[in-house]
Amino acid sequence: MLWTEKYRPKSFKEVIGNAKQKKQVEEWVEQWQNNEPQPCLLLIGPAGTGKTSLAHIIAKEFSEYIELNASDKRSYDIIMNTIGESSSTQSLFGNSHKLIILDEIDGIHGTDDRGGTRAIGKIIKESKHPMIMMANDFYSKRLTSIKPKCLVIKINKVHTNSMNALLRKIAHTEGIQTDPEAIKALAKQSNGDMRSAINTLQVVVGSANRLTLEDLNHINKKDPRSTIFDGVGRVLKSKTFKNIKEAMRLEEDPTLVMEYIAENIPREYEKKHEIKKAYQMISKADLYFGRARSSRNYTYWRYASDFMGLGVSLAKDETYKKFTKMTGSMAFSLMGKSRGKRALRDRIAEKMSEKLHISQSIAISMFSQLEIIFQNDTMAYEIADYIGLDDEEIKRFRKKKIPKKVITAMEKKKAEIRKQKKENRNANIADNLFNPTNNKTKNKPSEEKGKKEEKKEINEEVKPTNENKEKQKKTNKNKTTEKNKGQRSLFDVDKKKNPEKKETPVRDKGQTSLFNF
Amino acid sequence: MNGPWVEKYRPQKLEDVVGQKHIIERLEKYVNEESMPNLMFTGPAGVGKTTSALALVKSVLGEYWRQNFLELNASDARGIETVRTNIKEFCRLKPVGTPFRIVFLDEVDNMTKDAQHALRREMEMYTKTVSFILSCNYSSKIIDPIQSRTAIFRFTPIKSEDIVNRLEYIAKEENFEYELPAIESIVYFAEGDMRKSINILQASASEGEKITEDSLYDVISKAKPKDITDMITKALSGDFMGARNLLREVMVLQGTSGEDMVNQIYQEISKRAFEDKMSSEVYIDLIESLAQTDFRIREGANPRIQLEALLAQFL
Repeated sequence: MLWTEKYRPKSFKEVIGNAKQKKQVEEWVEQWQNNEPQPCLLLIGPAGTGKTSLAHIIAKEFSEYIELNASDKRSYDIIMNTIGESSSTQSLFGNSHKLIILDEIDGIHGTDDRGGTRAIGKIIKESKHPMIMMANDFYSKRLTSIKPKCLVIKINKVHTNSMNALLRKIAHTEGIQTDPEAIKALAKQSNGDMRSAINTLQVVVGSANRLTLEDLNHINKKDPRSTIFDGVGRVLKSKTFKNIKEAMRLEEDPTLVMEYIAENIPREYEKKHEIKKAYQMISKADLYFGRARSSRNYTYWRYASDFMGLGVSLAKDETYKKFTKMTGSMAFSLMGKSRGKRALRDRIAEKMSEKLHISQSIAISMFSQLEIIFQNDTMAYEIADYIGLDDEEIKRFRKKKIPKKVITAMEKKKAEIRKQKKENRNANIADNLFNPTNNKTKNKPSEEKGKKEEKKEINEEVKPTNENKEKQKKTNKNKTTEKNKGQRSLFDVDKKKNPEKKETPVRDKGQTSLFNF
Repeated sequence: MNGPWVEKYRPQKLEDVVGQKHIIERLEKYVNEESMPNLMFTGPAGVGKTTSALALVKSVLGEYWRQNFLELNASDARGIETVRTNIKEFCRLKPVGTPFRIVFLDEVDNMTKDAQHALRREMEMYTKTVSFILSCNYSSKIIDPIQSRTAIFRFTPIKSEDIVNRLEYIAKEENFEYELPAIESIVYFAEGDMRKSINILQASASEGEKITEDSLYDVISKAKPKDITDMITKALSGDFMGARNLLREVMVLQGTSGEDMVNQIYQEISKRAFEDKMSSEVYIDLIESLAQTDFRIREGANPRIQLEALLAQFL
């Protein structure tokens, strides 16, 4: 038989620890027995502290009870069918009450147990019978709607000394030879969880009927990986070397552990010089994580671990005697919350980066100036158009949309410029085609430069139409013999020293269009 | 279209690049010689590295520059993968209509060491057909083998009067009025950074009125993140959690880089010391912490953690 069942407390008296809470529960039972309906009882506390035991002791005080726990499926329908019906009906035989027990209600699954929480809320409201619920996590989201409707009783961890006494008693009853030190160690390492302590005792003792420290060391703690919050809590709460070293043995990404420790430093430490010192240690730890990354020498991690563990723990003058709720990294949750905003920011930065020849980080540093510039309608249009921003991206810089009037005016202007350029170019080509001699006369060094530049610009801005290409190809064919020479001239565009080497503009034109499809 | 003024007034020809006279003269030689070695441009932000590179590329490659030119910003695409795929693919193709092709890699100092080594290989393999122009803020962050394979050009900050002249030129082109002292103040605030100067100028002009010193200060204080000031005030007054929350907001939401944060914090505490709001002793202590933070961030530590630690030193 499992000792945990065998030694489960049978009465309120046998339940150890939590004296105050016990009394509250007893009162609650008494009131019911006096036919005074009480609110639903909600017991919250870590595993193995006696919640289920308490519930079963209470059950004995009532004539019958129904229990649903985590192993049962608990969707809206199931809860309503099993409990819902009986909860609102009265027993035929007068005063007797039916106790409803719902275990591990924070474990109600979101999708598998759809509507479970809603069903519980409904039953709490309608039930004419006593009801007890148990949960582990005080801060669970599923409890937020339930908690205000209940009488909440927080069950604390069992104190090491009480546990010590209980374990000795069990060992004595079972006739086991024990080492007092081993019992103490067992009590301590089970961290307030009685169930796990008794289970461990039974396993370690086995058939040998004795318990020594050595035996105990073979079986590790209930969970060799303490959670990240345990580790963080110990670093901030303790100053002892061994304790901290143990706490840092987490199977988590160490940089994540560092983030968690850093997050909670100002929540636990109160004196300025403590925060200062502790953060200096975090900074050093971070530095060595960085060095490990860049050099791929991960032995550096051990130094980082000591800095962020022992280093931070020693930064306090003395340990604080207060309750601090350890939280996860707020920087991370901020990142989660702002995902959309950041995606928008990065999209804009990427577009700017391409068009303005800058890195994304420089682009982002320009945002504050753009916010001002974008208040000017025309400038906003010009920049948004150039970079290719959509409406949502424009909204990042200005609240109002760019007025339709401005947009149509600017688009008109744009079209005009385009038209003018096209006309210019066509005129040029026509000029070149039909008047080659005219060109040669123009081919003087002084005028050459201006002419060339103008052509270059046109080439960059507007691609030739098909019709023009045809014409150009024709001219090109006529002069294929000169092709090699023509190609060289391309690199002479900006040469001013030897203009006589240069080809006529006609040649440049034709060549470019060939490659500019 | 024109885009923001920084782009609209970006010099297209080497001869138009402001300042950097000696560098430009040497670059023009490459244009005439029709060949060029691998180049490296180093220098602070906004002094004309990218502009010179683009202008050089256009002159050397002439009208075919678009087809034979690859521009990559190493700080956005900095892994080995980029070097292996993008650059290699580009280098493997033959030049079209030009004697060689050009790869322009901006902000190479943000590339990992591994990627730099991969890059060095590419530079060796395609010497005949591809020239590289690398640009960076700190040449010390570039591995030696790359440094020895390039001709290094050190860009110096542009002289104030040169920036003033350029801004005045833009003002005339754009047809708006200004007071000269206002323009001079812009240059002072931008610390020799042409890009920043022109951005501030456009921001000031965007309000459509004459730029005076008053209107300029207005714009600058609007564009300056107020959060930094608040953050430092909070930290100095002992509200560490408040200061830390602001820091995270600025860095996570606004995406301000660690480097920018360090710069802004430096400016902010200098200002306080100047205005006698902070004793010199406190100032030098903070500077010591700031210097260490700066160094550690550059060494590859996590900027946000380092800056949080810095704020703790302000307590």
